[in-house]
Amino acid sequence: MEAGRIRLVSRSRRQLASYMWKYKALYVMALPGVLYFLLFKYVPLAGSLIAFQNYNIFNGITGSEWVGLEHFRKMFEHYDFLRILKNTLLIGLYDTIIAFPAPIVLALLLNELRLVFYKRVLQTIVYMPHFLSWVVVSGIAIGILSPSAGAVNHFLGWLGIEPVYFLGEESYIRSILISSGIWRDSGYGTIIYLAALAGINPDLYEAAEVDGAGRWRQTLAITLPSLLPTIMILFLLHIGKFLDFGFERVIVFLNPLNTENGEILDTYIYKAGLLQQQYSYTTAMGLFKSVVGLVLVLIGNFFSRKTTGESLY
Amino acid sequence: MRKWAAATMAGTLAIGTLAGCGKEAEKPAGAEGSKQGETTKFSISMRTLAFNYVEKSPDINQDKWVKMVEEKTHTDLDIVLVPHKDFEQKMIQMFATNDIPDVVQGSGGVNGKELGGSVQAGVFQPLDELLQKYGQNLLKKIPKDAWDNVSYKGKIYAIPEWLSNPSRRATWIRQDLLEKAGLPVPKTVDDYMAVMRKFKEMGVENPYMGRENFRYADTFFGAYDVFPYLSMFEKQGDQILPKFMDNENMMKALTTYKTMYDEGLINKEFATINPTKFKETILAGKAGIWTMNANELLQWEQQLKAAVPTAKLAIIPSPTGPDGSGGHYLYGSVSRAYFINKKAPNPEQIVKFFDWMVSDEAEKFFTFGVEGENYSVENGAVKYKAPQTPQEVDEERYRQAFLWMVQDTTYNKGTLSLTEEGKKLIRLYDEVLAKEGRDGISFEPRLEALQKNPDVSPISDQAPPVLLNHMVKMVYGKEPISDWPKAVEEWKAKGGSEVIKEATEKYNKKDGVTESRRK
Repeated sequence: MEAGRIRLVSRSRRQLASYMWKYKALYVMALPGVLYFLLFKYVPLAGSLIAFQNYNIFNGITGSEWVGLEHFRKMFEHYDFLRILKNTLLIGLYDTIIAFPAPIVLALLLNELRLVFYKRVLQTIVYMPHFLSWVVVSGIAIGILSPSAGAVNHFLGWLGIEPVYFLGEESYIRSILISSGIWRDSGYGTIIYLAALAGINPDLYEAAEVDGAGRWRQTLAITLPSLLPTIMILFLLHIGKFLDFGFERVIVFLNPLNTENGEILDTYIYKAGLLQQQYSYTTAMGLFKSVVGLVLVLIGNFFSRKTTGESLY
Repeated sequence: MRKWAAATMAGTLAIGTLAGCGKEAEKPAGAEGSKQGETTKFSISMRTLAFNYVEKSPDINQDKWVKMVEEKTHTDLDIVLVPHKDFEQKMIQMFATNDIPDVVQGSGGVNGKELGGSVQAGVFQPLDELLQKYGQNLLKKIPKDAWDNVSYKGKIYAIPEWLSNPSRRATWIRQDLLEKAGLPVPKTVDDYMAVMRKFKEMGVENPYMGRENFRYADTFFGAYDVFPYLSMFEKQGDQILPKFMDNENMMKALTTYKTMYDEGLINKEFATINPTKFKETILAGKAGIWTMNANELLQWEQQLKAAVPTAKLAIIPSPTGPDGSGGHYLYGSVSRAYFINKKAPNPEQIVKFFDWMVSDEAEKFFTFGVEGENYSVENGAVKYKAPQTPQEVDEERYRQAFLWMVQDTTYNKGTLSLTEEGKKLIRLYDEVLAKEGRDGISFEPRLEALQKNPDVSPISDQAPPVLLNHMVKMVYGKEPISDWPKAVEEWKAKGGSEVIKEATEKYNKKDGVTESRRK
C-alpha cells in the first residue's frame, strides 16, 4: 500500500483514474467504511461548533448566538472543576495502570492451560460479565459490598473485622470503579490477545525448549515480545480515551457519600448537559476531553515509535 | 406481459377500493362529534409511564383498547411511545431532529424541562379559540389552576390532565404491626419516634424505610417544613428564600434522621437503596413506616399480602412538626398535558377528540371497559369484574390511567367506589391527604440562576446536589449537623445568592410567580 501511494504521487491524473479502475473492487469494498466514517464520525464533528455558542435547539446552529470561548472560561472557573478533573485523571490513570494489563495477564494465564476443555469453559466464564449492563454490575457490586448482607463483609466478619460500608466511603469508590471494570471487561479483553497468541509460530517454542528454556523463560523471551505490537496498539488506543471513562459505569455507583471522589467529567456532563440542558457548556467540556485525548495519543504515539518502533500511523 | 401487469394492477386497485369502502361502511354512522365516516388521522407522542402493559405491548397501535377508542372517536391514532425513564432526553431528541408528532404529551406546564423551551419557540399552537368552539366540555371540567399551568403569555397551549388534590404522597404504616405494638396512631414526630422504636423492639428490620437521596423518604423534612425542593420558596422579611434556609428547623429535621440512623430505625445503607430494593423490602414485609403515593395503596396491599398474609396497610396523617402541620410536597396541578403541533392539519378534530375524553361515555368506557366483557348492568347498577391476575391489573391500570388521556387523576372514582377498600381510599384522600402537604412559592419558568448553576438547583423532589451531599453526610455522622449554616453559605457562594436575588426581584415584579397553595 505504502509503495503504491508513493508511486501514485508521481503519476498524472489519468493514470490515477486507470489505477483506480484497475483496483475498482477494492475501492467499492472500501466505500461503505469510508461513508460510515464520513457520516457518523466527521459530520458530527461540525456539531462541536455549539461549544462556542449559546445553543438553542429550536434556533439551530445557524440561529444561535456566538459566544466564543465563554463556556470554556466558565468550565475552567467552575469551583469544582479541579476536583472533577483530578478524579477523572486519577481514575483514568488507575484504569491504565491496573485495568489495562489485566486482560494481558489473564490471556497469558489462559494460554498456559493445557487442558483444552477446561480452558474453553474458563474463557466462557470470564467473557460473560461483559454482556451485563453497568446497572446490573452495580447492583451486584452494591449487593456483595453491603455491610449487612454482602459476602465481602461476611468474610471480613470471620476475620473479626467490623463491617465496612464500602459504597458509603469516599476512599473506596475509585477502587470499586476500577475493580468492577476489571471484573466485567478483562475477560472479554483477552480475546484479541488470545488471537495474537495463537498466531505465534510454535517452532519458536520448540527451538527454545531445545535450548533448555523453561516455561517462564519462554513467556519472557517469545510470548511477550510477540504480543508487544498488539499491546502497544491497544495501549495507544486506550490512552486516546484516557478521560473517557464513561458516565454509565460511574453514575450507577455514585451517591452523596462518595461523589467527592467519584464524580468525573462524564458524570458531570451528564448531570449538567442532559439533565439541566446545558448543551453548549457540556459540549465545551466534551471538546476539552477530546483535545486532551488527542494530545495524549500524539505523545504516546511519538514515544512508542521511538522506543518500540510500533505506532498507530 | 404488459397486459397481465395492467390487469393485476386494476384488480389490486379494485380490491383496495372495495376494502376501503367496506371499512368505512362498518363504522357506526353519525356517532357524536364527527362527520359521518370521516376519520381524523393524527400522531401523538406519549410517555409509557413505565406501565407494564404499555412497555410490553408488541405494537400499541394495534392494541384492542386503542382500536376501540379510535372507533368511538372516529380517529386513526398513531401513538409514538416515549420510554418512561429517558423521557426528557428522548423528547429533546425529538425536538432537535424536528420529528414532532401532531400532538405532543408533556408532563406538566408549558415550561417543563422535557419541552426544552419549545412552547416559547412557537412549535405549538395556542388553543383558546379552538377550545371555545370545540372544547366546551374541557373548559367546563378542567379547573382554572390547571389551565393556568398550561398557559403562556395569557394563551392556553395545551389540554391538561389535572390533579384536583395535589397531595398525593402519603405516610404509610403497617396497621397490623401498629396494632400489635398497642400504640395509638402517631401524630407528632415524637409519637412517630416512639412507634418506630417499638417496631425495632418487635424485630421490624426497617421501622422507617429509607431510600437514596431521601426520595420517598422525606417525611420528616415535611414535618419541619424544610423541603429543599424547587417549589419551596418562602417570603422572609423582604426576601424570597428557599425553605431550607430555615436553619433551626432544618437542623432539627436532620437530627431526627440522624437519631433514626444511630438507633437503627432507618436502614444504615439507605444511601444506596434504589427504588427496586425499596419496593422489594417493603413488599417482603420488612418495613414498618414509609412514604408512597396514596393511589398505589390497594395494589401494594395485595402484593404485600402475597408475602405476609396477615399484613394490613393504612395511610395515616404525616408527622406534624412545631407548626402543627406536616405532609409531603404537593404535586403540580397538571400531570400530563397535550400540546398541538402548529403544523397539525386538523387541530379542530384533535380538540374534539380530547373533548370526548371528559364525556360521560369516555368516563364509563375507561373506568369499566366493555359491557358484557368487563362489566354487566344489573338493576341499573354496574357490576364490575375486578381484575384478578397481575396481567389483568396491568390492563386495567393501562385503560384507566394511560389511555384515558384527560381526567382528574387523583383517583379513579368509578372503580374505587364499588368496593369497601376503594371507598376507604377515597376517604383517605378527602380526609387525610387533602388536609396535609407542604407547598411554597414557585417560579415558572425556572429561575435563570438555577438553570445556569446545576449544582445549586433542586429538582421537583430532590435537594440541590451541593446540599444533598451535606445532608446525607450529616445523617451518617460524617459531618456535624451544626455545620448546616455553613452548607447554606456554600450553596449561596456557589450561585445561591443569585438565585435569591432573582427570586426576590421576580416576586416583587409578579413575574411568573405561583403562590403557595397551602398556608
